[in-house]
Amino acid sequence: MGLFDRVFNGADQMYRKAESEYEKTVAELGADAPLMMPDTAYFMACIYAYQARKITKLGDLREALDEIKAKMTHEQRTGDVFSSGIASVMAAEVIECCKYAGGRSPYEGTKYHGHFSDAEVRELGVPLVTQDIPGFVVIIDPAPSDEDAAALIKGYQNRGIFVFLIGGVIDQAIRMKIQMGFPVRVVPVGEDIWAVGHIISLVVRAAMIFGAVAPGDWDAFNEYSFHRIFAFVNVFPPLRDMTVACGAGAIAKGFPVITNVVENVWKVPKTIIIQENVADFIETSLEARDIKIKITDIDIPVAFSTAFEGEIIRKKDTRVDINGARVDCFEWVRTKEAHEIEDHSITLDGPDIEEFEPGATMGVGIMVDVAGKNMQSDFEPVFERKFHNFLNCVEGVMHTGQRDMIRVRVSNDAFDAGFRMKHIGEVLYAKVKSEYDTVVDKCQVTIVTDPAKLKELRAEANKSYDKRDMRLRSMTDENVEVFYSCILCQSFSPSHVCVVTPERLGLCGAVSWLDAKATNELDANGPCQVVTKKLLLDENIGSWEDVNEAVTQYSHGALERVTLYSILEDPMTSCGCFECICGIEPASNGVTIVNREHTGITPLGMTFSEMASMTGGGVQTPGFMGHGKHFIASKKFLKAEGGVARIVWMPKALKDIVRDRLNETARELYGIDDFCSMVADEGVSEDPETLLEFLSEKGHPVLAMEPLL
Amino acid sequence: MSGWNQLTTVEEMEADTQRLRDTACQVCAETYEDRKRNQTPQCRFGEDGVCCRVCSMGPCRVTPKAPRGICGADAHAIAGRNYLRMIAAGTASHSDHAREILHVLHMSSPDGNYPIRDEQKLIRLAGEYGVTVEGRDIYDIAHEVAETALMEFGKPFGTQRFAERAIPERRAIWASEGIMPRAIDREIATAMHMTHMGNTADAEALVRQGLRCGLSNGWGGSMLGTEVTDILFGTPTVRRTEGNLGVLEKDMVNIAVHGHDPVFSEMVVFAAEQKDLIDRARAAGARGINIVGLCCTANEIAMRHGVRMAGNFLQQENAVLTGALEMMCVDVQCIFPALAQLTECFHTTFVTSSPIARIPGSTYVEFKPETALEQARELVTAAIDNYKNRDESKVFIPEHKQTAVVGYPTEQIIKELDKVTNSHVDERGSFRPAIDAIKAGVLRGAVAIVGCNNPKIRPDYSHFEIMRELLRNDILIVATGCAAQLATKAGLMNMEAKDLCGAGLKRVCELIGIPPILHMGACVDISRMMLLANGIARDWGVDINRIPVVGVAPEWMSEKAVSIANYVVSTGIDVYLGIEPQVKGSTQMMELITQGTRDIVGAGFIINKDPHDLVRAIIDGIEAKREALTALGVL
Repeated sequence: MGLFDRVFNGADQMYRKAESEYEKTVAELGADAPLMMPDTAYFMACIYAYQARKITKLGDLREALDEIKAKMTHEQRTGDVFSSGIASVMAAEVIECCKYAGGRSPYEGTKYHGHFSDAEVRELGVPLVTQDIPGFVVIIDPAPSDEDAAALIKGYQNRGIFVFLIGGVIDQAIRMKIQMGFPVRVVPVGEDIWAVGHIISLVVRAAMIFGAVAPGDWDAFNEYSFHRIFAFVNVFPPLRDMTVACGAGAIAKGFPVITNVVENVWKVPKTIIIQENVADFIETSLEARDIKIKITDIDIPVAFSTAFEGEIIRKKDTRVDINGARVDCFEWVRTKEAHEIEDHSITLDGPDIEEFEPGATMGVGIMVDVAGKNMQSDFEPVFERKFHNFLNCVEGVMHTGQRDMIRVRVSNDAFDAGFRMKHIGEVLYAKVKSEYDTVVDKCQVTIVTDPAKLKELRAEANKSYDKRDMRLRSMTDENVEVFYSCILCQSFSPSHVCVVTPERLGLCGAVSWLDAKATNELDANGPCQVVTKKLLLDENIGSWEDVNEAVTQYSHGALERVTLYSILEDPMTSCGCFECICGIEPASNGVTIVNREHTGITPLGMTFSEMASMTGGGVQTPGFMGHGKHFIASKKFLKAEGGVARIVWMPKALKDIVRDRLNETARELYGIDDFCSMVADEGVSEDPETLLEFLSEKGHPVLAMEPLL
Repeated sequence: MSGWNQLTTVEEMEADTQRLRDTACQVCAETYEDRKRNQTPQCRFGEDGVCCRVCSMGPCRVTPKAPRGICGADAHAIAGRNYLRMIAAGTASHSDHAREILHVLHMSSPDGNYPIRDEQKLIRLAGEYGVTVEGRDIYDIAHEVAETALMEFGKPFGTQRFAERAIPERRAIWASEGIMPRAIDREIATAMHMTHMGNTADAEALVRQGLRCGLSNGWGGSMLGTEVTDILFGTPTVRRTEGNLGVLEKDMVNIAVHGHDPVFSEMVVFAAEQKDLIDRARAAGARGINIVGLCCTANEIAMRHGVRMAGNFLQQENAVLTGALEMMCVDVQCIFPALAQLTECFHTTFVTSSPIARIPGSTYVEFKPETALEQARELVTAAIDNYKNRDESKVFIPEHKQTAVVGYPTEQIIKELDKVTNSHVDERGSFRPAIDAIKAGVLRGAVAIVGCNNPKIRPDYSHFEIMRELLRNDILIVATGCAAQLATKAGLMNMEAKDLCGAGLKRVCELIGIPPILHMGACVDISRMMLLANGIARDWGVDINRIPVVGVAPEWMSEKAVSIANYVVSTGIDVYLGIEPQVKGSTQMMELITQGTRDIVGAGFIINKDPHDLVRAIIDGIEAKREALTALGVL
């Protein structure tokens, strides 16, 4: 007998049982006996939902039964299996509800819960629909041992999963002294398989209450539960045909079945899963129903809140100083295969904080391995960059830098509260898992503090960074198919839109093209959207019709045109959080760039803040432009105006940051060596006259260029 | 009832064609329908395959009164020879196309017109061929792989390397039945030699050579064509595109690429994306350049670039009849010579590009890989300059078009199936999820729908009806060629088309996130389908002829199709045909192709011109295979 035949056979058995219960009850109470399910406005909810039939007295069931029978078709097709399955559940409801006929209260004083009131549906329904309860499980029949049953139930409870129990597993729970009842989210529903009628009654009522699904719309009830109710079934032996038939009903509603029964069971991907190891039931089940548990509590001895993001830890308060500038340190996200990762494993390889003198410098390598069906290696740097935010939220921990130039300080207070290296792992695990749940299915953290191993691992990490940089560097605005918009900061600058390209990162410096791509893929409706670049208007100034359309759309009409490579013609706007600002210096025909950190005056006679006030807020100010530091060395920087050769002045600190790459760009574009030495800084001049003198002396290429204005 | 139903029906497609025929009348152009009328009634002897003209004693035509030709060849010999010659021609076409691409691989270079786009696939193939990979430049490897592959065409000894990919059970049959394919050219030449005057008169021997010649295509030429096209242009991945004549744009420079070999069309697509040419198009008053595909060239570039598909074989004249086509660029195979006369009625420039397909009245630009980009740019430029010559009074573009999700080579199918594995119990990277779904009965089986259009029957109707019915019966469809195009035009490659399926297939589509018909490529890519069936059988642990997977060619017409049908059958897959092969005049041949091959390779043809009867037969055939598997205890 095949799977389908088991369903049909089970359905027939359930029907016969329902019919005989019905006839028995009618014989006892008469067909006119009232049949009103208590505390519900939805009658016998399964029958109401699927047949649009309002049962109020026992005799009404006759026609309902006929319709149930008619739905138990036996063609060898999934449609027949689904329909027989739902019909079996309705038959189950008939069996159960006959017990309530004539106003009886069949489960009063028993260990079973039976029928759910509308109030309970609502209480459970809201968090289910909003996914505050991530899902519910129906456990049917006894687990291999009482201990297995208890571990399973508690495991679900710990993950916030609502648990319904049917059959022998209930006695196991009682023997293991598991506290049960609706408030603790473990409900012993009933003794026999037909108790599923109560559970599906609850599911269809949720569809009617929260989904406004109309009674009689068979498909809509199944669609609703398939897409919105994250339920699944765990079933143990003996797997009778009637249970298989109800399983077909569950599957029709989108609920997968996980069982340890091997004989006469057919695997169906994501639908019927045979897991012989009961200890793996929970994880197998959650994966089958695509339930990812949001980690809300992070197991660390200090507080975790964005309130601590700006916390500064002074040297004297520092218990340990993890300093990439002095010893080997790094942060490294690696993509792995799912089987290579033990989820939530946190390993410390080497001495912990207490083995260092107070205030000592410590080398630390943090490796976060992730796996997921939708994971892409392009996301690695995106996660890595977020470590900064994650760790800064820890009370008593300060984090700066990235890659192998990190600096992390752990305060004396945090150490005294019990904070150790493994807690860094806990934080990263919890945050990576919860923030990137759409792509990360599994995550493990390894923290290496053993100096002997760090050197080698750091070199390896650097290879990986280099590879990523190579990939990033090989990407140009021309060889990618799309750009991305970024409106991350529209909360305070409502009309600003960044257009992020491989060669022009977001002006805040925090969003590269890859970041934007990842953000888009992680959250399709999020702040970064695809901007096509099919309709080129002018390559030189970087103008596209579709980019303009996107800017118009995302600025809500405030802006209609931007160019990506020009400071004069429709320059890109700024929100206010730019890393640098660039402004035209009229005397030299060049531009000066000043970074946010520089407090002094520029040859324009203005400071950063004064220049910043000229632009920002999403307004276009030709001649002024906010941008990221790393845009300076881009070949697209002021491309329309002649490129980086326009740069005449930068603060020394900024020059140091961009020197190598800027020199390389100038060499490639103009064949000039050591271009940065021709660019003035605050040490040379802070006024136009001395600036011009310096430029003439150095033979700066800008002097030979066409006037800007 | 919820559910999507916004298909474009065959009736709607026919109404569009009718409207375009009005244009044809207006400009005094003829279409295939006119010519078909002129050709009716068609020659019965030819139709039945019993006209022999292989020597100049003939032609000899077999009738009950004259049952033998002058040399004494009977209907079975004559029909068998004609049939084998069709297979040889089909094998030659696919394989020569593959050889052209291999030559391009052989001259690939990092800064030339044709770089390597799928290095991994190249390295895998190098491994299969025993070509050294370690420490070598990828292009050195490519050139050696190309040389090795080119030897498959004419090597004096040995059999096709790709035959080694087949499961051992299949290989054993090919070996014991003496149909293991040798060098491709050898099999074609042997077929031609056997059918020369005074050689084989034994129909079974001719059929056996047909199987072997077919195999040299399916597990030789075509498979090489597919592999190498992937290496050069990238293995296709999932893309969204659109199909039907509505993809022509009224305010853009429209260029259709048509044929089969993507070497040419890839470059045209690339050229049309270049900025200076787009600027030129704008300067000419157009909104841009719109490249669309026809026939299998469309399938190739849709799967790799999402280029939109204007239509299938019998739509080629319609594309011109819209009056909105600036240029029709063709490469090889399935090109109507009639396009030359037809394009003369419009401003459309008709460009032929291959010495294989020379057509009088066309502009011939022999396409050379060394100068490919330059040539493509010149053609696109010419098309742009032709935009001003468009006669608006002749323009009518039918509105119908549908979105489609395309690009499912076997590699992608495995990736899709991985999505429904459970990491706690399942292995990844196999066809097992599909097998499990079939075993449980959620899917009843899978059907490959392939082939052309044929005016002998109502065009596209058979494809449409058969697809609809199979979907309703929880049978997953993979499609290539003009059949795939029909699915696109109709909307059956939409994700939403799941709503037209039985509950089992619908659920599978929802869980994986696929349309119910998977687009596997051009007709040369039917080799992908062989690897799919082979992979399923391997992972199932049974021979290919046991799995509930069959092939259907409802509207086939070309000699390539006959060659394909032969390798599909040789692979152990039943082939359902909606057009009769031209052997009806021989009872023995009819018996051989429907039954006789079952004793040789365990599969054969089932022929029925009525699409509803044919689809019923397909479903029954699949259910029969399921029952046989149940009896074996492996379902």
